[in-house]
Amino acid sequence: MTVVPTVALTGVTKRFRGTAALDDVHLTLGPGITGLLGPNGAGKTTLLRITATVLTPGAGEVVLFGTRPAGPEQLAAVRRRLGYLPQEMGHPRGFTGFGFVDYMAVLKEWTDRAARHAEVRRVLELVDLDGVAARRVSALSGGQRRRLGLAQALLGDPDLLLLDEPTTGVDPGQRVTLRQVLSRAGERSTVLLSTHQTEDVAALCDRVVVLDGGRVRFDGAVADLVATAAGRVWLADAPDPAARASWRTGTGRHRVVGQAAPAGAEPAEPTLEDAYLLLLGERARTTGVAA
Amino acid sequence: MSTSTGGWHADEDLLSRYVRGDAGPVAAASLEQHLLRCASCRDRIAAHVPVPLLDAAWERVRDEAVAGRPRRLERLLVRLGVPAPDALLVATAPSLRTSWLVGLVVTLVFVGLGAAYGGDRGLTFFLLVAPLVPVAGVAFAYGPDADPSHEAALATPYPATRLLLLRTAAVLAASLPPVLLAALLVPALSWTAVAWLLPALSLTAALLAASTWVRPTVTAAALGAGWTAAVTSASRAADPTAVLAPALLVAYAVLGCLALLVLALRSRSLTTLGSPS
Ligand SMILES: Nc1ncnc2c1ncn2[C@@H]1O[C@H](COP(=O)(O)OP(=O)(O)OP(=O)(O)O)[C@@H](O)[C@H]1O
Ligand SMILES: [Mg+2]
Ligand SMILES: [Zn+2]
Repeated sequence: MTVVPTVALTGVTKRFRGTAALDDVHLTLGPGITGLLGPNGAGKTTLLRITATVLTPGAGEVVLFGTRPAGPEQLAAVRRRLGYLPQEMGHPRGFTGFGFVDYMAVLKEWTDRAARHAEVRRVLELVDLDGVAARRVSALSGGQRRRLGLAQALLGDPDLLLLDEPTTGVDPGQRVTLRQVLSRAGERSTVLLSTHQTEDVAALCDRVVVLDGGRVRFDGAVADLVATAAGRVWLADAPDPAARASWRTGTGRHRVVGQAAPAGAEPAEPTLEDAYLLLLGERARTTGVAA
Repeated sequence: MSTSTGGWHADEDLLSRYVRGDAGPVAAASLEQHLLRCASCRDRIAAHVPVPLLDAAWERVRDEAVAGRPRRLERLLVRLGVPAPDALLVATAPSLRTSWLVGLVVTLVFVGLGAAYGGDRGLTFFLLVAPLVPVAGVAFAYGPDADPSHEAALATPYPATRLLLLRTAAVLAASLPPVLLAALLVPALSWTAVAWLLPALSLTAALLAASTWVRPTVTAAALGAGWTAAVTSASRAADPTAVLAPALLVAYAVLGCLALLVLALRSRSLTTLGSPS
């Protein structure tokens, strides 16, 4: 039996004024949660936009649920099955939290008022916003607004969930709540989320894709990426300027990520962040990944 | 969530009268407000009502309260036969209020100026601004610059062209009548008071067509500049109404129809973010 993948990208390329935001990307996704990592400008947003059908690729093929969304009917059929949280998600003025999600639900063809309101209530409860849903969006905090954006993406329990930095600005307690929501969604849906928090990926994702300069640099199990850092992370008493990265940790010792063990260092358990730093080398250090 | 209720709570008598429906409108409304915030009164009211009835009623009250009452415009549209979801989408066009206001302000300023100056000056000013009111209204009601949730809305199955046309219709309905009304009140305008509608509609159609290539705000700026140049040069040549010459009126009508054709042919490009490539 062949299973049709939810997302199949082949040779997807997108250029903006000559520079490639995506360069020959091949990616196949099925149910489960995939994390998308990469430095600023790596092409994560471009990839999510193309997958969400809001941006057309310059070259290559995008197949969603087994069809190429060419005509308006196919496009609408695909969009019925996806939930999308853009990186820059604003809200029109004057809406309450409930009113905004209600508005998005109308666009998602929830025409029956009672059923729609029940669904809006459900997703607001999922992201723990039911208590403040009557407030104006402009009176919500940044993290609350981010969760409101996530709530609209969850409407109708979509088969494909595309989330561009869903946890940005969200406090640790709420991040754990969101992890629970997303892990439940990932049991049956295909979830692709970009983030700068390697710990979100480590905590949530089965699979990780690392983009850099528009190219896929790694695509595989999270554990496999972490394993590439085995034997390349140490705790030392002094910083190591020759290493890929070294910093003083809260305990006073220095964590050293690199190729060679510094004198007097003891090996440390590698994390996803260490592996990411090693994979991207100097680029990751200079363009920065949120620690 | 914080549930400050100022220490006041409904007594059993009020709760039971409310449930029976004879608490009186003022007391009922203020109790409903209180129930939204007070879990303990919600719990206590349960004792007075059959349970399924209570749940249904409570959810209805809560949804109405948190969704915000349907706006007046929305209710009006529903009464006029517009499907309820479309009415909601029109009423929530990001800045319909702005286009109403612009229409109104322009009207008042024009009436004032017309009265003060009379003659060509007032006329030039009117011709300069009136046809651009709906253009500005549409530019501020649709697209990535006007609607901060534009990208999320694009990813929904709702047809982008339909949304654009709904909002355009709403902007026209909101902004044209006040300007038209005021223009008709000034006798000096004679038939100019009506003729400006043609370039107004034609420019709006051009805006829609161009929005399949570039964002509406950019096009609106370009159209505004072009129209301003046309009216000023006509005014310099001593007759501002030259922009409404019969031959030009025909041209506006033709251009408007062509623009709508372009919109229909290129409507697919409205379904994605425009991007330089
Ligand atoms: N609409 C656009 N116009 C021009 N250039 C663009 C556009 N969108 C993206 N780019 C360019 O494409 C590249 C990839 O951008 P993208 O937003 O996909 O990166 P990203 O990985 O999401 O970055 P970040 O982590 O900062 O969100 C960048 O160099 C960016 O400047
Ligand atoms: Mg991005
Ligand atoms: Zn109370």
